[in-house]
Amino acid sequence: MMQDFTQWLQQPGLSHFLIVSGLLFSFGMFAVLTRRNAIMVLMGIELILNSANINFLAFSRYTTGTLDGHLVAIFVIILAAAEAAIALAIVLNIYQNFNTVNVDELNHLRD
Amino acid sequence: MIEQILHSLSLFLPETTLTVFFCAAIIVGLVAGRTSRASLYVALIGIALATWFAIQQAGSSEGIFTGMVVVDPFATFFKLLIGMSAIVILLFSLYSAEVQSTAHRHIEYGSLLLAMTLGMFLMAGSTNLLMMVLAIELTSLSSYVLAGYTREATDSSEASLKYIIYGAVSTGLMLYGVSILFGLTGATDFYNINRALATGSVNATALLVATIMIVAGFGYKISAVPFHFWTPDVYEGAPVTITAFLSVASKAAGFALMMRFFKTCFIDANALGLPAGMWASLQGFEWNKLLAILSVLTMTLGNLVAVWQNNLKRLLAYSSIAHAGYMLMGVVVLSDKGLAAVLIYFIVYLFMNLGAFYVVMLVANKTGSEDIDTYKGLGYRSPLISVAMVVFFISLAGIPPTAGFIGKLFLFAALLDAKWIWLAVVGALNSVISLYYYVRVVRNMFLRDPERNAEPVVFSAPQVVIVLALLIPTILFGLFYSPIVELANASVVMFGMK
Amino acid sequence: MLEHYLPIFMMILGGVLFGIVMVKLNEWLGPRRPTEEKLTTYESGMEPVRTARERFSVKFYMVAVLFILFDIEVVFMYPWAVAFRELGIIGFVSMTVFILILLIGLFYVWRKGALEWD
Repeated sequence: MMQDFTQWLQQPGLSHFLIVSGLLFSFGMFAVLTRRNAIMVLMGIELILNSANINFLAFSRYTTGTLDGHLVAIFVIILAAAEAAIALAIVLNIYQNFNTVNVDELNHLRD
Repeated sequence: MIEQILHSLSLFLPETTLTVFFCAAIIVGLVAGRTSRASLYVALIGIALATWFAIQQAGSSEGIFTGMVVVDPFATFFKLLIGMSAIVILLFSLYSAEVQSTAHRHIEYGSLLLAMTLGMFLMAGSTNLLMMVLAIELTSLSSYVLAGYTREATDSSEASLKYIIYGAVSTGLMLYGVSILFGLTGATDFYNINRALATGSVNATALLVATIMIVAGFGYKISAVPFHFWTPDVYEGAPVTITAFLSVASKAAGFALMMRFFKTCFIDANALGLPAGMWASLQGFEWNKLLAILSVLTMTLGNLVAVWQNNLKRLLAYSSIAHAGYMLMGVVVLSDKGLAAVLIYFIVYLFMNLGAFYVVMLVANKTGSEDIDTYKGLGYRSPLISVAMVVFFISLAGIPPTAGFIGKLFLFAALLDAKWIWLAVVGALNSVISLYYYVRVVRNMFLRDPERNAEPVVFSAPQVVIVLALLIPTILFGLFYSPIVELANASVVMFGMK
Repeated sequence: MLEHYLPIFMMILGGVLFGIVMVKLNEWLGPRRPTEEKLTTYESGMEPVRTARERFSVKFYMVAVLFILFDIEVVFMYPWAVAFRELGIIGFVSMTVFILILLIGLFYVWRKGALEWD
């Protein structure tokens, strides 16, 4: 059992990367669902985006053998940066208006 | 290589125009000074030109930039729709108190509207997973900022935060789904994905998971339940002009991309023994069942919650969720007829929904409120605008002789044609519920007395002209609908699909 | 294959142990005669004026956001630089357009006064 596990660890393959990305995705989702601080939620979103990036690169390396995945990954990096920049600006604006960045305290718009 | 790129560029003219005018709007705005409206006019000219170039492309059907984007009748139809609504929104903005009160930010308003339109044009034409994600993201990033445009207003900034958090999470989910789909098929091109899936060697469970995650991204763009949470808050908090734009153009672009994605990726191009105009999905992967569930949830929740709303913008938000549900029915049936019905619905929806939002904006400009009580006795204070509002609302409810009825008629006809009886029944029941809340507003306008010493509300000539420009098609297309039906039937053709 | 990593593990273990042992040894052997002067924060010889745990000016934030945006765009230049010869004139023209659009962004930021510190 232990022997198999060490053997599996010794030969990194597609599944290793998928497990890492799956874990990263779960951590990101967990942060998004449980954190109430807007900045923390944004960090969770970054994790999700990067987990997708790991997938793209791993698939590109192990299944297609083309550069498509790398190409997508570069664009996703840019996309994550643009999203983070805009989100931070919006959070800053929220802080100036409400003096808080807690998502739960923002409930002026309600039924 | 160079010839190919030059040829692609010649077919990419609408998008190039938008990009050039995006840069121009920034430079002109900066040079013209702080309170100039110049950027708004630049945006108006740019979008009008781009729409004109898009119309010129009618009839061509080609993939450009090595299959990243296609130019085909389907894309051209949606570009026309998006361009028209962008023009109408810019005209609204010139008379909007909210937009005009923040004159020092007109550069951002004009240029971001151009960027958003560019994103939606690309959404209408993308046939590659990468292009799809980028187009969605360009549209979303611009709309996050525009939703918080009146940023001193607490409602507006709250709306933009909620919008970006929900938006970013669904983009993340979608990207993860896209990465799995890429892994399963080894392709980013829609047509290659179709080919890879057609070999039948793809794990069905993984494919289902990937599809559900990708649907999260589309669902958020078209505000389908359960990805709709942002909709009411953003619609209420954002400036009315942006709300109207989101409810029509953004939804149209989302639908265009979703329909293209599902049709080009998951339809069996070689299926035998089907009646003309019907499709079959690949290897028994019944994604349309998934969309049917989504459709029922969306319209039912939208209509039931709309009944309790007292803020007109919020009411229209839930009504627009419900309409997304109706339109999803047309995608579920897997036929050209269903697709054409969705296109017809969108033409109609453009006029009636923009009209309803415009009246809400005009009344809010005068009274400073969107509450349903503001509309008490409005019929006596401003007859023309109130009658227009009644027409828009009965059209949204789908009662003849308005255009809304024609939209619903073709949807239900397509459903019955494909034997989706139960879905048609659910849709009809929902239409009945929706009648209640639309009529409630109408009743407030005509059957309630106005508040004491309420003055007549007068609107300027250009404002009335815009209302009429939206009102006349809403009635006219209810009576003479053959042009829009023909346009829709001619526009269901997608590049590379039979 | 795993045993090939053994020297690295031993190295890490040795490093950690060495650090702990040295610090503890110092604490144990060295004389401790604290005075107020000795307990203050070491700031390269300057007198510390106030607490370090305070809000940063919002101006840093603006600079950081702009930095992220313009910094990340360089990612596109790496593939271009690697395949510069193969891409030829097409690559050059596309990157020129890309950089021009970035320059318009920079012009906007500059005219809006986001680069001014005060």
